[in-house]
Amino acid sequence: MRKIIATVIKEWILLRRDPGGLMLLLIMPAILIIVMAMVQDAPFKDYQQLKFELLLADNDNGALSKEIKDGLRNSKNFILIDSIDNQPLTEYHLKSLLHNGTYKVGIVIPKGATAEIVNSANAVANNLSEKLGLGGKLPTRDPRKGIDIALYFDPVSKPTFRTSIKFALDKFITYASSKTLVERITKLSKLSGEEAAEEPNEDMSKLFRGIGIREAELNPRDANMSHINSVQHNVPAWAIFGMFFIIIPIAGHIIREREEGSALRIMLIPGAQKLVSVGKISFYTLVCTAQFIVMFAIGYWAMPLIGLQSIYLGKDPLVLLPVALAIGFAATSYGYFVGTVFKTTNQALSFGAISIVILSAMGGIWVPVELLSPAMQKVSLLSPLHWALDAVHQVILRDKSYREVFPDLAALWLFGFVLWCLSIFRNTARQQSI
Amino acid sequence: MPVAIEINDLRKTYKGALVPALDGLSLSVKKNQIVGLLGPNGAGKTTSINVLCGLVLPDTGTAAIHGKDCIRSTFFIKKILGVVPQQIALFSNLTAWENFYYIGRLYGIKDNKIKERSGYLLERLGLEKHADKRVGRYSGGMKRRANIIASLLHQPEVVILDEPTAGVDVQSRAMILDFLQEYRQQDKTILYTSHLLEEAEQLCDEVVIIDEGKFIVSGSPKTLIEETPECRRLEDVFLHYTGHSVRD
Repeated sequence: MRKIIATVIKEWILLRRDPGGLMLLLIMPAILIIVMAMVQDAPFKDYQQLKFELLLADNDNGALSKEIKDGLRNSKNFILIDSIDNQPLTEYHLKSLLHNGTYKVGIVIPKGATAEIVNSANAVANNLSEKLGLGGKLPTRDPRKGIDIALYFDPVSKPTFRTSIKFALDKFITYASSKTLVERITKLSKLSGEEAAEEPNEDMSKLFRGIGIREAELNPRDANMSHINSVQHNVPAWAIFGMFFIIIPIAGHIIREREEGSALRIMLIPGAQKLVSVGKISFYTLVCTAQFIVMFAIGYWAMPLIGLQSIYLGKDPLVLLPVALAIGFAATSYGYFVGTVFKTTNQALSFGAISIVILSAMGGIWVPVELLSPAMQKVSLLSPLHWALDAVHQVILRDKSYREVFPDLAALWLFGFVLWCLSIFRNTARQQSI
Repeated sequence: MPVAIEINDLRKTYKGALVPALDGLSLSVKKNQIVGLLGPNGAGKTTSINVLCGLVLPDTGTAAIHGKDCIRSTFFIKKILGVVPQQIALFSNLTAWENFYYIGRLYGIKDNKIKERSGYLLERLGLEKHADKRVGRYSGGMKRRANIIASLLHQPEVVILDEPTAGVDVQSRAMILDFLQEYRQQDKTILYTSHLLEEAEQLCDEVVIIDEGKFIVSGSPKTLIEETPECRRLEDVFLHYTGHSVRD
């Protein structure tokens, strides 16, 4: 034990004297999580949480366009712009603004759109009247072709964004159509001399509501925190990325010790090699754990200072401690392995950095795994960074207990242990010379 | 006189090598002596030392220190053996004190003993004023002396030095050689390799000349000079037995 503690102390002294290494371990990941959380804040927000400026050129000026404009104005998601410099927006102007990238989405309501809706409603009302034997008839004509509401998007708009706009607009058109239909049926009833036929004076939106959709929370806690957001994703993701980047100082350190001869000194001391290895792994695992704590402290206290949400740490934040230790052990062992297997610092550092970037991309660090293709989701299961992120998400998004995150932790410990054993084997097999 | 180091018919050919590094080498070193292991480049000196340290396994043959097999009893051998590699085997970002404390603790030496021994050795080798300086900032001679101290903290019975004075100034060399003489007085055995034959002639009780992995000749420098025709110095003896051709 004394030899292990001596190694831990020695590693601490060496780390303290390596400002570059310390910066790489603590300051860089801290900057990374703050920047990434800020950058990804908007993409992570659901469209319900964001307000988009939406251009509207109204060539109809009828009931339909009024209904759509009212719906958009009342929506929390859109800021409707239908005039610029007190001039109604034209289709030409709308297109040029979208083309310049000033706005992301534009709607053009064609001339005669209301008339077309009324015509359809009349046709339906006539059909109903005939079936119900009311006798009255409203004027109709053949539907005109090409009377469609045109939606224009900035070319860089994401498909999900386009879908959500289409969905919202469709809802307004459906509502306007239904309202017109009710009005036409009422009118038809009047024409038929029905006594009960009066103008509908109730709020149509209430009439049409019937059954609604309510998003319910799985966890009995702050409803705002139940979704993955930029902070909930980026703080653990980039903290894990930073922890795995410990392979750079570890691998560099191991190769330097081999090159400067101090590793040979350890080999010449009876029984020291394995204990030194335990000491090194223990020290860097603790460093990784400290890194994790610092990153989460930033997520908890610093994020609100820059206008982001504070990270939610789950029902039992202490479960994060064994999670951090397991991630730290896996990351440290990986660094130890890279430092042992590669001969030169250049080889080790290049491989180490690139492999972490690949494993992090695979493991859902950059983009949540749920957004990856089904094939990539299967590939992600191979990445230790995915096991790490999954373990943290289990705790902070699903309030899971230690027992429930154990499979992920076991995978991380096993990964670390296998690499550590391989490193010791490689070290022993390597031909050493005084 | 009892034997400290015994090497018998050692053979070793490295993977991919065309010629053996050791080709049936046999030699013995008596206790409490300073013995110089001499030979041209590629003679097999380093491989022999590596086998004695347990770093390299021979293909055949045996090597023993104080009667213990160097291959089977590496733990015991490492306890009684102090190796001063030619490379500075120290942590350059640690001070001399920090290096000695760490190495001492790995040897299982108590802190007060580490302090006592390293204090004595630092003073004896002229580094006491620099003990708090990082080893990486030492001069070449200081590094060599610190390297020796680190190898002697556990007070080994047998010390192997691989060119301990290579690249050091005259003062440092004199200090190191004086110290080795003094250390031998404490009933210790020293096996030493060097290309500085004048130094070996002054320091060693006995020299062993090897070449191409084989034993060539051994004896006290004085006897070898006397018994070898037309030789006035150890260097003449060396060239007599190993020839004038340049080795790679």
